[in-house]
Amino acid sequence: MQRVNVWKMLFIVLVSLVLMAGCSSKESGTDEKEKSGSASSNNEEELVIAVNENFISMDPHNTGDTNSNSVQTAMLEGLLGSDEEGQIIPQLAEEYSVSDNALEYSFKLRQGVTFHDGEPFNAEAVKISFERIMNDESLRLNSRGFNLITSIDVIDDYQIKVTLKEPYAGMLTRFVSAKILSPKLVNDSASDIGKTPVGTGPFKFVEWVQGDHLTVERFDDYWKKADRVKKITYKPVPENGSRVAMLKTGEAHVIYPAPVQNLKELESNSDVEIHKIPSTIARYVSINTMKEPYDDVRIRQAINYAVNKEAFISVVNSGYGLPLDSIIPSKTQFYSKQETYDHNIEKAKELMKEAGFEDGFKAEIWGNTNSDTLKGMQFIQQQLKEIGITVEIKSMEEGTLSDEIYGAQTPEEAKVQMWYVSWSAYPSDTTNATKPLFSSSSFPPDGANTAYYKNNDVDKWITEVNQTADPDKQAEIYSKIQSTIYKDAPWIFLGVDEILAGSRSNVEGVFISPTGGINVTDANLK
Amino acid sequence: MIPILFIVSILIFFFTHLIPGDPARLVAGKDATLEEVNIIRAELGLDKPIWDQYITYMSNLFQGDLGTSLKTGLPVSEMFADRFMPSIYLTFMSMGWALLLGLLIGTLSAVFKNKWPDYLGMVTAVSGISMPGFWLGLILIQIFSVQLGWFPTGGAESWKSYILPSLTLGAGIMSMLARFTRSSLLETLRADFIRTGRAKGLKESVVIPKHALRNSLIPVVTIAGLQFGFLLGGSVVVETVFSFPGMGRLLIDSIAFRDYPVIQAEMLLFSIEFILVNLIVDIMYSMLNPKIRYAS
Repeated sequence: MQRVNVWKMLFIVLVSLVLMAGCSSKESGTDEKEKSGSASSNNEEELVIAVNENFISMDPHNTGDTNSNSVQTAMLEGLLGSDEEGQIIPQLAEEYSVSDNALEYSFKLRQGVTFHDGEPFNAEAVKISFERIMNDESLRLNSRGFNLITSIDVIDDYQIKVTLKEPYAGMLTRFVSAKILSPKLVNDSASDIGKTPVGTGPFKFVEWVQGDHLTVERFDDYWKKADRVKKITYKPVPENGSRVAMLKTGEAHVIYPAPVQNLKELESNSDVEIHKIPSTIARYVSINTMKEPYDDVRIRQAINYAVNKEAFISVVNSGYGLPLDSIIPSKTQFYSKQETYDHNIEKAKELMKEAGFEDGFKAEIWGNTNSDTLKGMQFIQQQLKEIGITVEIKSMEEGTLSDEIYGAQTPEEAKVQMWYVSWSAYPSDTTNATKPLFSSSSFPPDGANTAYYKNNDVDKWITEVNQTADPDKQAEIYSKIQSTIYKDAPWIFLGVDEILAGSRSNVEGVFISPTGGINVTDANLK
Repeated sequence: MIPILFIVSILIFFFTHLIPGDPARLVAGKDATLEEVNIIRAELGLDKPIWDQYITYMSNLFQGDLGTSLKTGLPVSEMFADRFMPSIYLTFMSMGWALLLGLLIGTLSAVFKNKWPDYLGMVTAVSGISMPGFWLGLILIQIFSVQLGWFPTGGAESWKSYILPSLTLGAGIMSMLARFTRSSLLETLRADFIRTGRAKGLKESVVIPKHALRNSLIPVVTIAGLQFGFLLGGSVVVETVFSFPGMGRLLIDSIAFRDYPVIQAEMLLFSIEFILVNLIVDIMYSMLNPKIRYAS
């Protein structure tokens, strides 16, 4: 009797295990046909985009990561937007102007726009969204710039004026990322913003299954009439090989990023197109200018001459990259090209000799544990060996590294010598591409000036350039800032990444911005 | 169970806070000023003494509140909602076929020791154990998704999405179970009571499943239970290869970001799952071998 029971039990357990798995899948499979994830999903009405990371939140006022922002841009719009090059264009505002002292921003709003929930878009709606950013303390990431607002004046239904207490040159870019949400959503169910946002964009929210997919569908009352795809599904697919497989099978129509190692294979596929976009991601090694012997500009220049940047791009970035020929990438506004430190070992040795370090010295480079970072650091190690500098590589997990860098309260406490890192700012936000990196007010823990670079002229110019809204004057000052810093060489200027994306050949109207954002406003399938 | 969980919760909380790395700085970003970081630290409640944070954590826990993610700002329970069940289904499916095939291969190998079914079974088992999940997953995608187009490359949208990940996850476990079943069964087959059974004229079809196999299952159940517990915690590798929305990747992402509430809640959940699985294993022991029940 006992024996029979055991076998019965085992059998029942096994059968129920299989059944449970089977039933549960049926449950989730009921709406399978509506979704496109399956192998047979060449549904012409639906575009599938596979990206490398999970989306963090759909609250546009509380996220800064590229992939969350990409999805938000399909559903939500700001007063200003950005074009393919990442430069600012009017979006929900038809026109805008900035006063000469860079304190007053006036917007004339687009008429006849409605939110996905039917609410009308007007100056009052703009005010409600802006006030949320200013007043809600939990929106810690995006209050920058908005915490300087002293008043928001609704002039009439379609005109609004924002006044700042002090100039902030990055403000126009802030108006791009400050998406306007439905006032009904903000007032009645603010806790849902991160999950089910409502805006004025070309697509409206349908569903978000955490870690699996997020779907949006066409908003037929969108103000800019155009033929666009009915539905878009975004999928986080972290594994490079899986993303490539999805593109090849047609399960995904767009993949971002396309892995370098698979490019050749993808390029030979006639159904697939590869896109190379120069980014605003600057790759560099910051050199602690307050530490001996790096406090001597000749040493820093010698290091720059010793590193072969072309070889860097081909070895570390597999050939996809551009030279970093200024302190900011070429896609950043007010960029001006500098005379680069071309690979010249003789010159580097000469500079080392002049500085009294003919025999070289021991150095340390820090970076995270990412395999590309490690490859980059090994490359630097190898290159600097040529001029007698023995580099020890210290790779640390991101959180530990952050503690080491930002734990130092003063430049004297800082242990960092060289840091292998990258920086990305919006193309229109030259302030963010310079001030946190080169102003002496941005020494850690107050910013990312890990070169501990201090130049009184540069400090003065950075303050000055942020107090004017005159583009000519800004260009003039930024030109001085760039040439001065480039000569002072507080970094090893390594390169600018190229963003790689892949799409099926029947996709049109999708573009990737220099920051990696995916714009689907005019997305369609041929 | 409750005292164990209480101790576990203390350990989890303090160990989580011991990991180097400042969540406030990670949330704020590299360009944030110290003032901004401090505002965020206060907002996240990380400026309070650690025992104070522990009391808040425990009192919220008793009210069923797992906290809010530092990274996403969403309640932890909601972040679990979409991931927990797929992880459970995947575990059951992987374990289901690993148990079926593992027991079958193990039994056949033992019965036909040193004959071709044994060699075939053990080659399968050794291959299953030695193939890295990452590699096997990509190979399966290449064959069944890219070339044959039978199954999707990833996701968790229909039963089809579960096939390849469960095969990948189950392969190693199936092999382990097959090997354990084989060696344990071989040992039992040498036992006196089997000889007696055979001498009494019992058929092999009775001796093997009813007498031998049942007595060989104790180590197999132990291994299966342990593996089951591990699988419930999600598998980072398989979830990554198949873009599967499971618990494993969430944990890794949360650790990288020092998302304390998510790490704590997930570890606590795994502990509960493990305790439950152990309980089931103990019950199965007593069913398989009544002596264990009488002893306790």
